[in-house]
Amino acid sequence: MKRILALVLALALIATLGITSAFAADEGFVDGKFTETRHITVRLFQRGDNVPETSPFADYIRKGMLEKYNVEVEFSVCGRWDDETDLGNLLAAQNAPDVIYTYAYPTILNYADMGGIIDLAPYIEEYKDLLPNMFNLLGEENVYWDKDPETGKLWALETRLVNNARINTFIRKDWLDKLNMPLPTNKAEFEACLIAFRDNAETLLGADAAKMVPYSTSQDIGWRNNNLTVSFVPDAITDEELYIRGFDDRQQFLPGAKEAMRLLNKWYNEGLVWKDFALYGSGDTTEDDNLKAGFVGAFQHNYDYPYRNGDDSIEANLKRNVGPEAEFVAVDCFENDAGLYRKYLGSTVDRKVCFPTTNDEVLASLLYLDFISSPETILALQTGTEGINHERMEDGAYKMLVVDPTDPNYQASLNNIDFTMTCNGQYLGEYTEASFAYGYAPVDPEVVLNALKVAKNDGRVPKHFSLPAIEAEVGIGSTLSEERDKFLNQAVTAPVEEFDAVYDAGVANYMAIGGEAIMNERAEKIEAATGYKFEK
Amino acid sequence: MSQVQQPSLSREIHRPRTNWNTYLKRYWTLYLLLALPIAFFVIFRYIPMAYILMAFKKNNIIQPPWFVAWAKNNGFEWFIKAFKDQLFLRSLENTIKLNLLDLICGFPAPILMALVLNELAFKKFKRFTQTVLYLPHFLSWIIISSLALRLLADNDGLVNILYKNATGNKDAVIPFLSSPNWWVGSYIGLGIWKEAGWGTIIYLAALTGISPELYEAAAVDGAGRFRRIWHVTLPGLRPTIIVLLIMRLGYILGSEFDRPLALSNKLVTDASTVISIYVYQKGINGGGQFSLTTAVGLFQSVVGVLFLFGANFLAKRFGERGIM
Repeated sequence: MKRILALVLALALIATLGITSAFAADEGFVDGKFTETRHITVRLFQRGDNVPETSPFADYIRKGMLEKYNVEVEFSVCGRWDDETDLGNLLAAQNAPDVIYTYAYPTILNYADMGGIIDLAPYIEEYKDLLPNMFNLLGEENVYWDKDPETGKLWALETRLVNNARINTFIRKDWLDKLNMPLPTNKAEFEACLIAFRDNAETLLGADAAKMVPYSTSQDIGWRNNNLTVSFVPDAITDEELYIRGFDDRQQFLPGAKEAMRLLNKWYNEGLVWKDFALYGSGDTTEDDNLKAGFVGAFQHNYDYPYRNGDDSIEANLKRNVGPEAEFVAVDCFENDAGLYRKYLGSTVDRKVCFPTTNDEVLASLLYLDFISSPETILALQTGTEGINHERMEDGAYKMLVVDPTDPNYQASLNNIDFTMTCNGQYLGEYTEASFAYGYAPVDPEVVLNALKVAKNDGRVPKHFSLPAIEAEVGIGSTLSEERDKFLNQAVTAPVEEFDAVYDAGVANYMAIGGEAIMNERAEKIEAATGYKFEK
Repeated sequence: MSQVQQPSLSREIHRPRTNWNTYLKRYWTLYLLLALPIAFFVIFRYIPMAYILMAFKKNNIIQPPWFVAWAKNNGFEWFIKAFKDQLFLRSLENTIKLNLLDLICGFPAPILMALVLNELAFKKFKRFTQTVLYLPHFLSWIIISSLALRLLADNDGLVNILYKNATGNKDAVIPFLSSPNWWVGSYIGLGIWKEAGWGTIIYLAALTGISPELYEAAAVDGAGRFRRIWHVTLPGLRPTIIVLLIMRLGYILGSEFDRPLALSNKLVTDASTVISIYVYQKGINGGGQFSLTTAVGLFQSVVGVLFLFGANFLAKRFGERGIM
C-alpha cells in the first residue's frame, strides 16, 4: 500500500513539474530554420459544408511553413459556432491544438487559472527578433494588450482588427423613392419612414401586404439596435465610465440605453417592428429570408451585412426577387445629444490567440503567427488565385470574383479570416482601399463604400486601460448575455405601460447575478490605476 | 408464501460454490456475450464516475481532479453556491414543474392510447393508426421545434393566421410560444404528440399477454366493453404501469436537454430554463464553471436515486413486484 502511495505521489510530482516547467530556449533552431522537422497543430474554424483543411489556402500555409521553418502544420478543425465548447473539451482532454484562439478573453483567463495556458511573456522577450511580421501587424499595443500590470503574465496575444466598423442602419431606398420620401437624417424622420412603410403596405408589397415588416430586429436586441442605443448615450461620457459600464459589448448598460429600448418598445407596440422576432434563435434564417424576399423596410446589423456572401447576399437576392431597383442603403439617422451620429467602434483588437500548456513547440507556434502575419501571406490568403478568386483592375485593385461554395477555392469567411488568424479585415497594402468595395461582388462597389463611410462616421474608439485581470468577469459572460437578451426581449415586447417594470426588474436581476460585481471591480481597479472616481 | 419457499429451493438445487466452475464451463459462451456490455458499462459509466470528485474540488478541468485542491467549505463550496444562485433555483423549480406536468399529462396518454388501439376491431386500420402514431417519435426535437414555429408563431404561424381569419380580428393572437404559461402548455402538448404513440408499444405488448379466456369469461358474466377494460385489461396492465411509473419517478429531477433548448426562446426562458440548460450554460457553453455544474449534476442524480428507491419501496408496500 505504501509503495502504491509513493508511486502515486511521485507521478503527481512529475505531472506538476511538467505543467510548471520553466521557460527554456529552443536549441534546435539554427539560422532561422529548425534542423529537424517540427510538428504543430493549429485551430481552424469551419463554416457550413466547407472543408477548409483541404483548400488551397491550407496548402499554401502548410507548404510555406515547411519551406521557411521546417515546421509541419496540421489543422484542427472545429465549427465556428461551437468553438468555446470545443475548446473546453480539448483542453480537458489535454488534446487542444498548439495554437488556439477565441473571442472571449475571460474564457482564456479561466483556463489560465487552471494551469492550462502558457504564459507568453518570457517567450515573446526571448524571440522578439524572430517575429518582425507579427510585431509589425499587431504592434506593441496588441501584443502586450492583455499583459497583467501586476503579475507580468501574458496569457494571450490580441490579433489585429483592421477594419473596426461595427454597425449600420439600412433602409430600402427604392421604397422611399416610391413614396417620394428622402433618406432619413434623424430619429423622427426614421420613425416617419417606418410609419409610411406600415401604412403603405399595399402599395409596396401588393398581395403580400400582410407580410410587411417596417423594421426588423432579432432576439440579439443589443447588437441589432446598437445605433439606436448609442444615440441615447450622452456624448460627454468619459472613457473611464465607458470602460466601467462596458463589460457588455452591446452597450446596454450605459446611461440612456433604457430610453433607446423604450422607443423600440413603442415602435413594437405600434406595429412597426417584426412581431415574431423574439421567437427565433440565433442562426435561424427566417429573418434573412424576409430580408431577401423584400418584406423588410429597415434594420440595423453588421456594417456590411446585406452585402456579404456574394451571390447569396441579401442584396443580390433582393434584386433577384424584387427587381434591379431594390436595394438596402446605409443611412445615418441616429443623432445623439451633441448632434453627432455617434458609433462606438471596435478597438484594434479582435480574436485572442493563446497556447495551451500541452504545446511543446512554442517557438514553432510563434513562428507560425509570424508567418501568418506577413503581408505576403495575408495577400495570398485574402486574394487567392487570379482568375478564380480575383482579377486585377487597372488601378491595381483586387476585384473579388464569385466562387461556387462547392469549389475548394471558396472562402467561407469574409476576407478569409478563418485562415488569416492574426488579421481580421482586408489588408492588401497600398491596394486595400481601392480593393475594399470589390470584395463584395456582385454588389455595386459604390453601395459598399458608402456603408463603410457611414459606419465610421462620427466613430469613437473606447480607450483601452491596462489593468489587472477582473476576477468577477471569469465564467459569467455567457450567463450575463443570456440574462441581458432575456430581459431586453421581454421589455421590448411588453405593453407600453409595463415597459418600466419589466426593464427595471431585468436590470436589477442582471446586476444581482454578476453585473454589479464586474462594474464594482472595474471601478476599483480603474481608480487604483488612474485615480478616476466612479459615481453610479 | 412463495417468497419464503423460493430461496430454500434454489439453495438446494444450485449450490453455487461447488458448481460455479462447471456452470461457467458449460455456459461460457453466454458469459462471453455478456463481457462486451459489461465492459461498456465499466468504461463509459463507472470509470468516468471517478470525476464526480470535481464537484468537491477547485474548478479545474486541465488537471485530473485528484491533483486539485479541495474547494472551500470542506469541499461543499459549489453546492452552497448553487443553492444561493437564483438561476439555479429557478431551473430547479422549472425542472420539477415541467416533469410533474409531463408525468400527470404525459404518463396516462400512452395507456389510454393503447386501450383505444386495443379496441379497434379492423386489423388493417389498427396497424395503420399505430404506424402513424409511432412516426413523430423518430423526429428530433430540432425538427419539431421548427414545425412548432411555423405552426404556432404569433404572427406568421399557420394556426394563428387561421385563428385571425376565423375571428376576423387582426390582433387576435394565441401566444403559444411567447407567453410563459402558454409555452408550458405547448411544451407538454408537443411532448405527448411526439412520444405517446411510441409509448403504447410496451403496453400493447403487455396486452397480448392477457389471456383471451378472461375476456370471454367476463363477456359471459355480462360485462360490457368498458367493464371489460376496467376489470380485465387495466389489471392486466398494472405491473407494466407500475414499473414504468417507478422508472419515471426516478427521473423527476432529470431533465431533457434538446427539448427545452430547441423549443425555448428569449421570451420564455423564465419558464424553460431547466437544470440541463443551466448546466450547459454554466459549464461547457463558455461558462467554464465545471465544478459547479458537476455538483449540480451530482445533486440531480442523488435525488433521482432517492426517488427511484422511494417509489420502489412504495410499490412493494402496495403489493406490487417493483423493479429491484
